[in-house]
Order: sequence, then C-alpha cells, then structure tokens
Amino acid sequence: MIRRFRWAAIPVLLCASALAPAAAQAKPRVVATLADLWAVTEQLVDGQADVELATHFGQNPHDFEIRPSQILLVKRADLLIRNGLEEDAWIDPIVESSGNPKLLRGSPNVVEAAQGVQVLKIPHGPIDRSLGDVHPLGNPHFVADPRNLPIVSANIVAGLSRVMPELAPKFEANRTAFLAKVGAAYAGWRQTLAPHRGFGLVSYHDSWPYFEQAFELAECGIEEDRPGIPPSPQHLALLIRTMKEKRCTVILHESWYPTDVSAFVARETGATVLIVPQTPGAVPGTKDYFKWMDFLVDSLARALP
Amino acid sequence: MRKRSRGRWVSLLVAGCLFAPGLAQAQEAEGLRRELEQMREQFDAMRHQYENRLRELSERLQRLEAQKAAPAPPAPPGASPAAPPALTQAAPPPPSEPSLVELLRPHQPFAFAGPGRVLLFDIGVAGDFVADFTSNRAERLQDGTFSGRENRVFPRHVELILAGRVDPYASAAVRFTGADEPKGPGREAEITAKLEEANGTLLTLPFGTTMRFGLMAPRFGTLNVVHEDDLPQVDRPDVLRRFFGQEELNTEKGVEAFWLLPTPFYQEVSLGAFNGDNQEAFGRGSIRDPLILSRLRNFWELGEAGGLQVDVSGGTGETADDRRNTIAGLGAKYKWFPPTGYPFPLITLAGEAIYANRGLALANGGGVSSTHWRQSRGYYLYGQYDWTKYWAAGLRYDWTDLPTSSGREWALAPYLQYKPSEFLRFRVEYKHTTGAGPIRDADEVFFQGSFVVGVHPTERF
Repeated sequence: MIRRFRWAAIPVLLCASALAPAAAQAKPRVVATLADLWAVTEQLVDGQADVELATHFGQNPHDFEIRPSQILLVKRADLLIRNGLEEDAWIDPIVESSGNPKLLRGSPNVVEAAQGVQVLKIPHGPIDRSLGDVHPLGNPHFVADPRNLPIVSANIVAGLSRVMPELAPKFEANRTAFLAKVGAAYAGWRQTLAPHRGFGLVSYHDSWPYFEQAFELAECGIEEDRPGIPPSPQHLALLIRTMKEKRCTVILHESWYPTDVSAFVARETGATVLIVPQTPGAVPGTKDYFKWMDFLVDSLARALP
Repeated sequence: MRKRSRGRWVSLLVAGCLFAPGLAQAQEAEGLRRELEQMREQFDAMRHQYENRLRELSERLQRLEAQKAAPAPPAPPGASPAAPPALTQAAPPPPSEPSLVELLRPHQPFAFAGPGRVLLFDIGVAGDFVADFTSNRAERLQDGTFSGRENRVFPRHVELILAGRVDPYASAAVRFTGADEPKGPGREAEITAKLEEANGTLLTLPFGTTMRFGLMAPRFGTLNVVHEDDLPQVDRPDVLRRFFGQEELNTEKGVEAFWLLPTPFYQEVSLGAFNGDNQEAFGRGSIRDPLILSRLRNFWELGEAGGLQVDVSGGTGETADDRRNTIAGLGAKYKWFPPTGYPFPLITLAGEAIYANRGLALANGGGVSSTHWRQSRGYYLYGQYDWTKYWAAGLRYDWTDLPTSSGREWALAPYLQYKPSEFLRFRVEYKHTTGAGPIRDADEVFFQGSFVVGVHPTERF
C-alpha cells in the first residue's frame, strides 16, 4: 500500500518543502480587471488597501490568455472590480479556478462598474460572431468620459465600503476630492479641445465613443469594421473615401494593435497616426487617470488642425 | 248625489292628467342634477388622483435626475467651452445583496431569466478536422500517427460544451464529442459520439479546497487537460500517444481536489482518485484499486522576461491485466512577448518528460504468469514563434520508448499555423518519424482546420 502511493506523494512532498508562511496581509486586497478601473480605484482607495491589476498595463484585454499568476491574485483578493459590460469576461474562469467564492459574480465583494452608466452603442438585432468579437451589452470603454466617473466611483466606493465598512467615510471623502479634481481637470481638457469641437476622428478599434461624446468630437470611421477581425479591403476603401470627403486627418491608433493598417490608411489620406493608450498605463507614464487623459487630450490638440 | 260624486272623480282624473307631466319633468330634472353632481365629484376625484400621480412621478424623476450625472447636451458650435457640465456625486441605487437565508435556499438547477428568456448556461461547439497524407505502406499497416485513418480526411473531434453555474456554490460542465473512429482492420470508419466530460465542481469547500467529481480530464502533466482542438500541434506528442493512447487520460471517472498553496508564487496541488479507465496505461476500471493521480503546478512571473510554468505529476494504478503501472511526469512551459504595445512576436518553449515503471504479465510454462517490470521513458520539446496575431511557426521533437515492448521512436515535426480570428485556425504539419524495433520510418503531412461557435473557454497559458 505504501509502495502504491509513493509516486503520487512526490508532488505533495515537493510542495510541502516550498511551503512558507505567507506574509501577513495588513491591508485588504482589491483586484481590478482593467487598467482604467485600476486607475480610478487607486484614487478612491488612497492607500487604504492594495489595489492590483489582473492584466498587465498595456495588455489588450480583448486578446487574453489566462495565466496562473492571475488565479493567485484573485485567490487572495477581498474585492473584485469588473467592467460589467463583458470586456473582462475572462475573469469568470479565473475566479472559478481560484477557489475564492467571495469573488463569484453576484457576491457583495464584486463591483460591476458599469451599473448605472448610460451605455453607448448597444447592438441590436441578431448578435453572433459574424459581427466579430462584439460586445453584446454595449461599448465598454465608458471610463474615457470623465462625466461617467461619478457613477463609476460611486459603484466602487459602495463595494469598498461593503468590504471595509469602517473606512466608508474615508472612501466617500476620497471620492469627493477625486471628483472635484476630475471636475476641474475636465474643464481644462474641454477648453484645450474646444477649438476642435465637432472634428471627426478615425480609430483602429471602437474605443472612443465616450471620449468623443465628452469632448464633442465626432466619429469619422473605424478601421476595424468588425471587432477582432482584420478590416476588409472594401471597408478600408470606403473609409479612405469618407476621410477624404470629410477631411478627417487624425487616426487614433491604440498602442497594442499592429500599425500596418493605420499606416496604410494614413498614406492614402495624408492623415496623422497618433499612437495612444486605450487604457491608463498602455503608454509609459500614463498609469494615473489624469496623466492618461492629459496624454490623450494634449496629443489630440497638437495633431488636430 | 251620485252625479256630483262622479263629476268629482272625473275632475280629479282630468287634473291628474294635466299635472302629471309637470311632476315627472321636475323629478327628471332633479335626477339629472344629482347625476351631474356625481359626475362632477368623480371628475374632481380623478383630477386629484392624476395630480397626485403627476406630483409623485415628478418627484421620482427629480430624484432619479439627482442620482445620475446626466450627460450634457452638446453645446452649439462656437459656444463658450469654459462651462463643462457639473460632475454630480450622486450614486446609483446600491445592488441588492443576497441575504444568508437567500443563499441557503435551494435553487433551481437552471432558469429562464425573465422576458429575455436567457438560458443561464453557456453553449459552445468546437470542430476539429484533420487530413492525414502518408505512404500506402503506412496506410496498409495502419501504423501512422492517426492509426486507421491514414490518407483520410476525418473529423477528429467535434464537441458540444454545456457549462454553467449550478448554484452559488457549484458549477458544472458537460461535453459531448463526435469523432471518426476506425472500425477494425479494414478501411471502414464510423462517426462515434460519446460523453467525454460531465462533472460538477464544488467551489466553496473548507480550507479553500475546490473539488471536481464525475467524468473528466484529470490534472496530470501539461497537456492532459487540453482538448484536441486546442493542442499546440496537430497531433498529440508521441510520448503521450504511446503511453496513454490518442486521447490521453481524458475520460476518467472519479473525484479530484485541488488547492492553491499559500506560497508567494503560484502553486496548485491536486490529488484525485479514479476508476482507471484508460486502456493503454490504467485499464483496471475499479475504484477498489483506484488510479491515483497527483500534480503540483508552479508558475513564476518573470516580469519583462516572460512567464514560466513547471509541473510535476505522479500517478499509480493497475493495468487491464492487474499489474501495477506507476508514471511520473515533468513538464515546463515558457512564454515571452513584448510587455507593452503590440504583444508580438510571442515566443513559446515547452516540453514534457514521462517515466513509467510498469508490470507486464509473463506467462511461464505452467500457465502461471509472473510479473516483469519494464521501465520506459520519453519526452517532447517544441518551440513556437508567433510573429503576428495571425501567423505562427513551430518545430517539435519527439523521443519515446514503447511502454510495453522493446523499441523506440523519434520524430521531427515542423508546422505552420494561421488564425484568421480567435475562433478559426488552420495548420499544416510535416512529420518525419524514425525508430528502432517495430517502428518503421514514416513521412506524414497533416492539414488541420478548427473552429469554435458560441462560448469557448478562454485560452490558458
């Protein structure tokens, strides 16, 4: 009998040797699925908890591969901040693998940040993969509109307060201060982009409807006619014609997509390609929400005619 | 006298006839007045009701408007940009939290969710088709990589996956597969359908334990839990095919538990007990002499240098002829991609080694069999270079003993992969095999097409 279990016991013994008492966690752990939610949560927590990101900064959340380290991250978390519009649906198998029932969807320890946000571009009619890697619940990039932050921050603070009720007044005070700062910054950003109001933008991915709404810019076209699928030649020909007709001269190219299509469109139209971070941290020096928006607004203001 | 009396009655009759219409009219007018009064009262009551309702709705609207930061209407062109819409601080209504009693209440296994009639579990279909080109000799002898399916196009693996949450504490997955299986020694083949996976996972056991029970692909080695359509190459590495058969240990029935250890890096340990239904390695098929499998999987994030996974596995069980077979495995996988920007090129290096100590029955002259212990080993190594999201090329090297007879084989297999999207993939692979003992040299070319419809598990490291 002992002989029978000898081999099976090897891994158990190996792991036992590696067992070390985990460092005592003084602070609760919060995990945000996406970098924009991480950036907002960091401002609200203000050092009262450890806020970690389930992805890497600069990693495209649409093309995602589950890594065991993420399972570990979720296993040890007390609160999960998720997008709520299925951009981070990959978090579900991670949570299931982690054995942390607190973070299963529907638990009070899970925040759906989009709750209450006026969602744009909700697809209608039959939705299947012929539309590409479509988001059935609508466009999930709502944090790019600063006017959504009162709702998003309220959702996050509610979650933080459920997990750390003794710190609820502190979180609310942080939120008030954060929103005041956002209000002031938003006024400045609007002023910077005011001369370009109504200008049409082209982007590689459909990342900017909320940003365009916030700053009264227009969508001139999107290179990806269906998310996650390389654009067809017909679509690109139509886009180039539209850009020439409407005099759209700026392409927002999200930093994690290949640049060949944008470079081609720029060659054909004479447009400028701006490599921009779709989320905070996707370009060095933009992890902070305000620095991220500064980068977007300043780059655009310089590039727009 | 009688005449006067008669006249009086006639007068009364005439007077009655004269006055009766007037009385009736008066009564009718009085009724109408009353009716009008009632209608007026009803209208007043209705007006009050509507006014109250309007007041309530107005107050509710004001409350709702105060709770959300309504986006400002776009300003007319040329308007002053200095007045952005106010950022209000009101929160949306808090999400309802289930009470302990609600959580404890038995739930339906599934439900239709209201008017949208959304069935609350996931459905996915994956198809994997292979074309195998090889020599006539290999076809005749049926000793190719896909034995009995040489020089054929066949559905290797078509699966229907149903998965979802059972209740707040458990999830379940069921997987049906269909595949082209050779029928005996001839060229005949038939599509066979079978239940390949049906298991429940308990998510909330004490001490952070997670447990799976039912029919499953147990945690053993690196590739055992990977479905056919998700393998890194067209075919399973030779060592796994020789030691466990074409489908590896993927239809075991039993129970396994796994834990994430409280270490600074990822360590998952799993331990399972199964019938032992794998005909190649553990065919005893009885829980009285169970197949015991265990695995320790480690993962290290190496920062900008990538990620490394190392797994150590052990398993012991009885073969179909009641001899013990003990197998140990060591696997490693390394991946690197640029930490920021476009995440390509992606470089993958991986390998897995298997060692087995197996008892083989030897019949002696008296009809009594004795046990001969045979040690065998094998491994594979591969590297893959994804230079874009769509294109990749790789090379795999195989070396393995035969687990039940003398002889060994080695093979070299370069391959090219094209993925037009996340859900569609094509591969072409050339494989040259050579060996010693009963193994003959062979050259094979495989073409593979795979697709996914509906839900499919996210790709794992």
